[in-house]
Amino acid sequence: MGIKFKAYSLYRGKVSGLQQKDFEKLALPLLDPLYNFARWLGSDTDEARDLVQETFAKALKGLSSFQPGTNFRAWMFRILRNTFLTSRTGLERRKTEQESEQGFEDSVASYDTPEVSLMRRADIELVQQEIGKLPHKFQEVLILADVEEMKYQEIAETLDIPMGTVMSRLARARRQLRQQIVDQLGIRKTVGAKS
Amino acid sequence: MSCQWREKVGPYVDDELAPAAQQEVSGHLVECAECTAALAEQLALKKAVSTAGKKFSAPPELHAAIYRQLHPRTGASSWWKWVAAASALAVLTLAILLAFPKPGGNEPMMAGLVDQHITALASSNPVDVISEDRHTVKPWFQGKLAFTFTPPDLAGSSYKLIGGKQVFVQRKPGAQLFYAAGAHKISVFVFQAQEGGTRPPSWGRSQSFSSCTWAQGGLEFYLVTDATRDEASRLVSLFQQANQT
Repeated sequence: MGIKFKAYSLYRGKVSGLQQKDFEKLALPLLDPLYNFARWLGSDTDEARDLVQETFAKALKGLSSFQPGTNFRAWMFRILRNTFLTSRTGLERRKTEQESEQGFEDSVASYDTPEVSLMRRADIELVQQEIGKLPHKFQEVLILADVEEMKYQEIAETLDIPMGTVMSRLARARRQLRQQIVDQLGIRKTVGAKS
Repeated sequence: MSCQWREKVGPYVDDELAPAAQQEVSGHLVECAECTAALAEQLALKKAVSTAGKKFSAPPELHAAIYRQLHPRTGASSWWKWVAAASALAVLTLAILLAFPKPGGNEPMMAGLVDQHITALASSNPVDVISEDRHTVKPWFQGKLAFTFTPPDLAGSSYKLIGGKQVFVQRKPGAQLFYAAGAHKISVFVFQAQEGGTRPPSWGRSQSFSSCTWAQGGLEFYLVTDATRDEASRLVSLFQQANQT
């Protein structure tokens, strides 16, 4: 209810950065992707719905500060993520999750084609289940890169991390996911030397 | 021993390398089996994540809530606006009473239909059967509804059929036909009438949308739109003609 009223007062307000009709054109197609991202961040149905609504409300409020020419999608995703991180679930997550940037052991893939073909056949539910087991930092970078098809720069802006971190985190996320899928499919894998 | 080019395979798959580097990696892939296998694996993984990662869709009520958030219906900031709103409400109440004189009233029904229309407006997939052809849309409802109706021929009109979907409003199954009229959208809902007889079109306003309802041939029709009455009235006539018994 509060959000609705806030949105109204903003709607009537002066907007210098982006007009409301342009905002709608840009923002409405992001509704489903934002909701999907919110759920992957760890929100339940209700929290994800509130997060998306709050994201729209905050974006409307900050329309005048949005700089045309900069990345609108990254801006919206960043608002949602920052809102999530200050939510109860987000704070709990930050407290409990201590992902080490250096902690993941690199394993070098061998390159047998049967594995690739098995990977292709991995069913959607299995992949969803294994993405769900990844640390949240890995989940979000994977969703932004492979589902939202964001460029590294856009991901860096969204997550507010350097581009180098995006690249290394994405590489590690993929290696870990690949390893989990391979393990689930029961393939014996040769683990090579650390890179 | 891992190939030193391996770390470039990820950015290559993501199309993140500069054109020259992309070219270089392409050249290397021709002669390196390890990197080629890694490429195949990364592509397979990327595709799997891309499909599996689209796991959650925003529920229709969220689409409707966002739409309402962007298009608030009320919001007075000074006393005279409250007075105006109160007057408007009184007029609207009177209009609804005049428009829907049936015992029990149609307000909850119309409110439900307006919600359906708003959900369709806010949704990226507003209909379940997508077709401009009424001969495709009509048969789609066969087996889903216990009655039949005829979507009108729109030739020579400015309306365009977008498609249709089955709806349940007030626990009654019905058809929603979704039309475009220029930049506006029109929903026409069709339900089985509880009692026979004919009711002429009766126009009203509901939640700032234009609405119209009429009955003929054992069917009840409801139209909801953000277009004006003038823009939508021809569609009412077309429906009436198409469903004459």
